[in-house]
Formats: sequence, structure tokens, C-alpha cells
Amino acid sequence: MPGFDFSNYNRNAALHAQGVPLPKATSTGTTIVGCMFDGGVVIAADTRATSGPIVADKNCEKLHYIAPQIWCAGAGTAADTEFTTAIISSNLELHALSTGRKPRVVTCMTMLKQHLFRYQGHIGAYLVVAGVDPTGVGLYTVHAHGSTDKLPYVTMGSGSLAAMAIFETQWKQKMTREEAIKLASDAIQAGIFNDLGSGSNVDVCVITEEKASLMRNYIRPNQREVKQKDYKFKRGTTAVLNEKVITREEISKYVTVHELSSDDDVVVVEKMDIDA
Amino acid sequence: MASLLSSNPTLASNPSYSFSQAPQNAAAGNREHAFYPYTDNGGSTLGITGNDFAILAGDTRSTSGYSINTRYSPKVFRIGGDDETGEGAHIILSVVGYAADGTALKERLNAIVKMYKYQHGKRMSVKACAQRLATILYGKRFFPYYVTAILGGLDEDGKGALYSYDPVGSYEREQCRAAGAAASLIMPFLDNQVNFKNQYSPGSGVGHDLEARQVTPLPFHEVEQLVRDAFTSATERHIEVGDGLQMLVITKDGIEEKYFPLKRD
Amino acid sequence: MDSLVATYSRPAFENEGYSSDEQQELVQAMPSLSLSFSLPPMRNPSAFLRALTDDHANPQCPIKLAHGTTTLAFRFQGGIIVATDSRASAGNWIASQTVKKVIEINNCLLGTMAGGAADCQYWLAYLGIQCRLHELRHKRRISVAAASKILSNLVYSYKGMGLSMGTMCAGVTPQEGPALYYIDSEGTRLAGNLFCVGSGQTFAYGVLDAEYHYNLTEKEALELGSRSILAATHRDAFSGGFINLYHVKEDGWVKHGFRDTNPIFWKTKLEKGEFSNVTANL
Repeated sequence: MPGFDFSNYNRNAALHAQGVPLPKATSTGTTIVGCMFDGGVVIAADTRATSGPIVADKNCEKLHYIAPQIWCAGAGTAADTEFTTAIISSNLELHALSTGRKPRVVTCMTMLKQHLFRYQGHIGAYLVVAGVDPTGVGLYTVHAHGSTDKLPYVTMGSGSLAAMAIFETQWKQKMTREEAIKLASDAIQAGIFNDLGSGSNVDVCVITEEKASLMRNYIRPNQREVKQKDYKFKRGTTAVLNEKVITREEISKYVTVHELSSDDDVVVVEKMDIDA
Repeated sequence: MASLLSSNPTLASNPSYSFSQAPQNAAAGNREHAFYPYTDNGGSTLGITGNDFAILAGDTRSTSGYSINTRYSPKVFRIGGDDETGEGAHIILSVVGYAADGTALKERLNAIVKMYKYQHGKRMSVKACAQRLATILYGKRFFPYYVTAILGGLDEDGKGALYSYDPVGSYEREQCRAAGAAASLIMPFLDNQVNFKNQYSPGSGVGHDLEARQVTPLPFHEVEQLVRDAFTSATERHIEVGDGLQMLVITKDGIEEKYFPLKRD
Repeated sequence: MDSLVATYSRPAFENEGYSSDEQQELVQAMPSLSLSFSLPPMRNPSAFLRALTDDHANPQCPIKLAHGTTTLAFRFQGGIIVATDSRASAGNWIASQTVKKVIEINNCLLGTMAGGAADCQYWLAYLGIQCRLHELRHKRRISVAAASKILSNLVYSYKGMGLSMGTMCAGVTPQEGPALYYIDSEGTRLAGNLFCVGSGQTFAYGVLDAEYHYNLTEKEALELGSRSILAATHRDAFSGGFINLYHVKEDGWVKHGFRDTNPIFWKTKLEKGEFSNVTANL
């Protein structure tokens, strides 16, 4: 059966009634914006994910792919934005294949709002949907309860007020692509610096009739400072009471062991600071 | 008898759970929120002492909720000095928590330390000031100052002295202490780097004979590095910490103030 | 009805600011001897305080106060042994591992702290003042019975206001010999031979009751005190840190160290074969 599994619902509700706190979901805090320009649309987002007052991820991706020329920026519960956009993306692809036409932004927006309305706000996804389709340029916001807006410039998330302040003072009609990118990234930076829920870098995605281009970490105004001191411990600093060596022969009883001949075989999925 | 002494909520309520957080008795029905005079203004402070100095440091951001009230509101103060310049002060105090209570507490202690000098014709010792601060805090036992204070200075022997407090005035002299929003991020780092907790001397023995690393007071430049690193790290991972790092260093030559910018996001 | 009339028959700002007495009080270098505590401006101050600070009833309370934890004291033929751990916790946070939970009231009297750390520190210091005043007034040292009664009367007068203390007073005087009292903030005051107080009390009692008898030698008694605290720090998450050990003798108390539990634990395990539940084998 596809969809959500509610089998633990009653147990958790009973536990909650006894005072067990619900597990904390990672919320994206977030500033996300979208802005139309002459011939396309740009959306942008910050890259901070928080869990309460703690920064859970300093460089997360809040711009989600939906269709080649439809992208979505997500705020709210991280897992909900991730999965909601993935589901709609997959349904939209099937829809495009069965109709033989390019998917439209309104279609995507309608599917999102119907999906979210059905769950009465329990899916905490707040989205900015943007794209270009055969009918033209589209830009919408979708709230978790299912309401939507269609506007030339939009902001969402905890930093939405800071970002909207930039739009309301600097937005103008018929902007060029460069002007729109500058405006959107300035709006995100307003959120990054003035809203505690937003921070780190600016991600931008520009969609025109020809193509969509994702500019990951378009601006990086918050580079980590170099530490004053070196914190390497001398070997033997940690107390060891006992040691056990597991040989390859032993472990190969349970798992398949592959020999890696050189460093080239090692696939680095994502590079961390420490790898540099 | 046991009820007031057991601070373990899992023992008191059944059944017992193995969650990271113990069950918390849910508020039954409607709660009245008639009078709530406190706000948490975030931020963090930290103090470390050495042989002949004491450092108190704090970030300069003041927050409420997701907003920044200001990027520069000092949390570390000179006590017993000139009103404008702070000259002549020989004690330093840091307060974190509710900023209004912090200011009130600072001003009250400042007035008292000055009155002491006028009445007795000599400076108040750090030890006496530490005890007096405890009684000030305890005087509001039933309407507490919502602050965590740290007091610094030099003791009678010229050694660095640091006293840390809880909101109602229980206090203790320590080598180092972190307080405020990022205390839980900074304090374990300090335990490891200042008191060398969980560090052993390599090669001093095998297994149980391995000796713990000897604790020696750190030189000033090393302590300053630790303070700066503690705050750059806290800024990375705590949203309420940032903007600036203010540091007061007290030595026999007086109090020196330092300021370093921190990330503003 | 009277309070309603009072509320509306006077201007609301009448009591704003500080009176001249209060101004004096605020800048007084010495705290005044008469006790005065400021209260929140409301009908029921203790409910307000409880909502804010009582993390036992409400773990989400915004002001977490430091709480003390396992303490014990017992009488034996050679005097009184007083032993404590040194951990202070505020909610789930270990606020300190180096708290001095034995408070030296004077050179023959000791107090222990469990419950609110500030309450114990403040009121035992206050007790110290009262004991010294008693000495000056009567030209002889206060008895342990009288000292403990000062404390118990004092906390009883604050009953219901939210004080939280479980303390023991141990001391020797010529008229009483070694004497031990338990006093808590509910108003209980008991004389006895053996007490354990705090969240780790049950674990300490387990060891202490099994091995205790009045004719222990000094060495055995010190070892038993230390071993009981060790058992409590081992099983109670809210106890730990260092073992603080005192021996009250005829001519005053003697301190027997403030020692880290970790090496003591391993020594106990490896040399005596106790704690066999803990193993370093893989």
C-alpha cells in the first residue's frame, strides 16, 4: 500500500498523552524567495537547517528538482519538503509521458496543493514553485494547508519578512536576468543576516525558456574561520583497556570483502571540509 | 522525604521509558499565563583563569526568538570603576540570560562595590565580592534574577580567580566555566582542553596503569586562543551566538578589553 | 472583596520605583541582618516560583536550579563519618562535578547539602553566623541539637515557599558527644545514627546498612563511607564526580580528601574483585 503508515499513530498518541515529547523533526528555518524577470524566473534559498537553536546542517540544499524546467524551493519540515516535491515530481513525469506534453507549472502547483490539503497541514511543507512552460513563466507559493498565491515576487520561511523588505524597496517590472539574480540573492542575504533561522550560503536557480540552471552556493558570505590552535592529540592520549583485531578472513564470513587497489577506486560521494 | 530529593523524573513516574528524554507530565487543562516577566536573550559567556590572570568573554549578540535585537550589547562588565571609562575597576562580571535582569544585577553589584570602597576606604576583595553577589542573588530567591553570572578577578595572592553562579546564588570557585545558550557546546571542550579530562599521558603505562595528563595552569596566549576557538565554533553551530566576541582580561596591570568580530549569520 | 477595593482605590503607580529604605538596601555593602526577600508582585508568589523553577514537576521550566545529590553520615564508636559525592545537575545537564557538599559551619560542626544548592549554601552559612552569635552571647559553644533546631525552625517558617533542602548536621560538643541530625525543608528534624540523603540515597543505604555496625574501627568506617558513595555514583546518574570524606572527632572534624571516583572505582574493582558486572573484556 503506498502512502503513509499510520500503525504507530495510536501508540505515539498514547505516549504523548502521558507526557513523552514527540521526536523533534529538522526544520529548515529558512529564507526562500522567487522573482520573475523578463523571459524567465529565478528562485533562491539559504542553506541552513536547524533543530531548535542548533544548526543541524550548514550547507543543505533547499532547491528541489520537479521537472526539467520546474524547480521548487522548500521551507518548513525538511523531510516533508523533500518527499512532497519528490512525489509530485514523479507524478508529473508520468503525467507528461501519458499526455506527451511538457508539464506546466500550474499543474504542478495544483497537484501540490491537493496533496497538502488532503493532509490538513500535518505535512509541514511551505513551497515556492517556479518554472517556464509552453504557456509562459509561472511563480507560485504553496502553504502547508493547501492555499496558494500567484505573484511576481514571493518570499517564504522565517526570513520571509527580511527578504520581502528587499523586494518591496527594490523590485521593478521587466528586470533583466542579471538584475533578478542580484535582487533574489540580496533578499536571501537579508534573511541570512537578519533571521536566526537562516544562514550560510545562497543557492540560486534560474529558469528561462531554453534551460534551467542551478547555481549551488552562488554566494558564500559565511566562510568558517581558521582555528587559532591545533587540536591534534598525541597518539596514546586515549586510554585503551583492551584490543581486538578482526581479520579479513573472519569478517568475510558475514560480508563480502572487496580489495581496493588504489585511491582511484574510492568513490567520494560528498566532499567534507576535512577531506580538503 | 525522597520526593524533594530525587531530581530524576524517570524514577518518580511509571512505566519507565528508554527514551533520550524522560516523560514530562503534560500540563493538564488550561494553564494560566498571567505574569511572565522573563525573556531569554540568548548568547553565551565563558571564563578561564590562569596563574596571574583571569579572562571573561561573551558574544555581543542579543536575541529574542528568531530576531536579533542588536549586534553589540556587551555581556561582560567592569565592576567598581569609573562610570564612563570603567577605570579603577578590579573585578569583572559576566551575565547571560535575561538581559534586563543582567543589567540590574550588574548595576546593583557595581553600586555595592563602590559603596564598600567609600565606607571602608579600601577595595573590596574578590572573595568578599563573590560572597556578596551570592547574597544579592539569593535575596531574590522567590523572584529570581534570570541570569547565570560569572565573576572574575585576582585573589589575595595575585592568582586568577573565577566564581560561577546559578540564578539563585549557589556559587563555586573554578578554573573555567561556560554559561548561556551554548554552554553545552563549550563546556565539554573546556573540560578537555583546560582540565585535560579524558586525556592520558602517552607511554606512561599500559591499560589501567596509564596516568591521567597532569593539569597545569595554561599561559595567557594559549587561553586566549581557546576562548576565540570556543566562540568561533559555538557561532558555527548555535544560532543565538555570533556578531562579536568581547573579552575582558584582568591582570596585575589592570583590565584590558579586546574585541574580535564573529560571523553575523 | 477587600483586595478588589484596594486594587482600584489607589493609583497603580503609587508603589513604583524604590522607596528610600529600598534605595538604602540596594547600595548597602553589607547585607542587612534582618532577612528580607523580594517577592514577585502577585497574589500567589510560590505558585509563580514553582512554575518557573521546579524542574521536578515541570521539566520544561525556564530557570533550572542546581541540585545537589548523594550524601551520607553515620555515627560509630570513633565519632561521625560524613561523606558526599560532588555532582550538581540542572535538569539533564551536569552543572558541576566539583561541588563541595560538606559545609564547614565551624571547626566542630559540619553540614551536608542535598536539594537546592543555593538554599543549602545560603542557609548553612546563615546557620554558621547564628552559631557564632550564640557563642559570643553565651560564652560557650552551641550544641548540635540547638544548631539543628535553628535550621529546622528557619526552614519551617518558609514551608510551602519552594525551598528544597535535605541536610545533615554533624558535630561534637562536650555535653552531647558526637551528635547527628537530619533536617529537611518539609520541617522534619530527626536525631539518629545513620542517614543517607539525595537521589542516590537508596544505593548508599544498600551498602551502608549491610556493613554498618557501631564498633567499626576508624579505618573501616572511612572505607565504608567512601564505598557507599561509590555505589551511589555507580548506579545513580545524578551522582558522581569526587568523593568528599570527613571524620568528626572529639576535638573537631578532620578532612580525609576530595578524591576522583574513577580511579577509586577501578581500584575497588581490580583489587577487591567487586563490581564484577563491569568488564573490560571484549
